[in-house]
Formats: sequence, structure tokens, C-alpha cells
Amino acid sequence: MADENDNERIDENQRPDKMFTLKKWNAVAMWSWDVECDTCAICRVQVMDACLRCQAESKKDSYGKQDCVVVWGECNHSFHYCCMSLWVKQNNRCPLCQQEWSIQRMGK
Amino acid sequence: MITLSQRLKRKNDSDSGIVNRAPIRDRLLVKEAQEMSQLLPASCSVQYHNENDLSKFTLVVQPTEGYWEGGSFKFDINVTEEYNMVPPLVKCATKLWHPNISENGEVCLSLLRRHSVDGMGWSPIRRLNDVVWGLHALFTDLLNFEDPLNVEAADQFRYSKEDFKSKVTEYVLSYARE
Repeated sequence: MADENDNERIDENQRPDKMFTLKKWNAVAMWSWDVECDTCAICRVQVMDACLRCQAESKKDSYGKQDCVVVWGECNHSFHYCCMSLWVKQNNRCPLCQQEWSIQRMGK
Repeated sequence: MITLSQRLKRKNDSDSGIVNRAPIRDRLLVKEAQEMSQLLPASCSVQYHNENDLSKFTLVVQPTEGYWEGGSFKFDINVTEEYNMVPPLVKCATKLWHPNISENGEVCLSLLRRHSVDGMGWSPIRRLNDVVWGLHALFTDLLNFEDPLNVEAADQFRYSKEDFKSKVTEYVLSYARE
């Protein structure tokens, strides 16, 4: 029925007169970090941001970027490298799962 | 002659060598102190020694049931500059009869152990709120007296609950009245 009506109107007015027209639309995109835990459990700042200490000292590397990297353990838990290197000096275990800490990878 | 500017300069020079963690502690404390006060057990209250210093405070535990009911027990808590790599220092300022607290005020709580042998000690993921609930639990859970600080109290608890109860009450009446 609707198709027939539309066709009739097109014939009459020479342009499609639709019941609804789209005047405006907003696109929404979602994203998340590709890590299991996005907050450093030691300093409670997002791992992709500089750690609390680096923020306090506003440490920058020679390119003027924050030089605070993320470290992943074999247990897949991630922390700021700065935070973790302080902790392993006392206890070489992951603070979250208590497994022996060994580095799987580092970077951003 | 020593001038203030020279002194300040020298102070800055010496500071740059050592890593000062105090600002980290203070930033953590702003959040943790708030969280702690929001989630405080009903029988506990917190008193700051100086309103501008969140690192030193007294936790008062007033159990409403159990052996220590009616007592008011104060714990002096000092969050040192190395926090949260090390646990806060906790000392019980009220004399009491308890298997896990010595009469000198040393507290045996696995969470407060700096060097953990069994994975039960301090971890930087812990917060002040965990410390408060841990201390609060010393007056509720009578489960683990395996490694007591006050051996006499632990033995008494094991072999004669009645004697233990009366000694606890005696101490509460003598030292822990509000």
C-alpha cells in the first residue's frame, strides 16, 4: 500500500514526499583501551595517563612528552612502569594477584 | 653569614638527590581519607590531630558487641611519606587484653605487615579503608589467633573463655572507659 501511495505522489508532484525526513543525525562512537585493567591499581590513575608521581613532578622527555610507560606482567595485569618498579623493590609479586612478577611487555 | 636564600638554595640542592614521595602520599590521602570517612564502620570514628594534615589521625573503635563491648579503643595511625609502598604505622594507644595486640600497643594484623611472606601482607592496592576495617575486625572476628602477640591472652582464650572474658572486662573497666 505504502509503495503504491508513494508512487502515486511521485507521479503527481514529480518529487518524493516522504512521511519522515531525516533532518539531523548524531553519530556516536565507543572506544576503550585494549588492556584488561585501565587504571593503575597502585597510583589509581589511568595507565594511559602519566602516573601520580610523574604528574606531580611534571616529568617530560626530550621531546616534551610525558615519559611514563605502561608495563604488563605475565599475569596480564598492567601498571605504570614507575609505580611497579618502586613496588618490586620490596616485593616481587603482582599487587593484584600475588603471582611472581615478570614483565611480559612494556610501552603505550 | 648564612642567609635565607643560601639556605633555601642548599635545601633545594639536597632535595633533588633523594626522591621525595610526600606529594604522592598527600594526593592519595585526599581521595582515601574521603573514602574512609564515607565507609567507616558504625562503631568507629576518626579524629585528625591537625585539620591540615591527613597523614596523622586516631581511629576510635567502640565495639557494640563481643568481648570488648563497652570499651573505647584508640589507634594512632601514621601514614608515612613512603605510602602507599609501605603500610601506615599503627599503634594501639589504649591498653587492652587481646591476643593480637600487645600490652605495649603493637598490633598484629597481616595487612599491616610490610614484608609479606605469605602474600597476605601490605600491597599498594590497599587503602586506608581496608586498614580501618581490618582493625575493626580485630574486635569482631575471633578466628585467627594462630600467631598471637599476646601469647598469654591467646592461651587463655583457647583454654578458658570465662577467664579470658573476665580479664578483658577488667582491662576495659580500668583502661578503656570512654
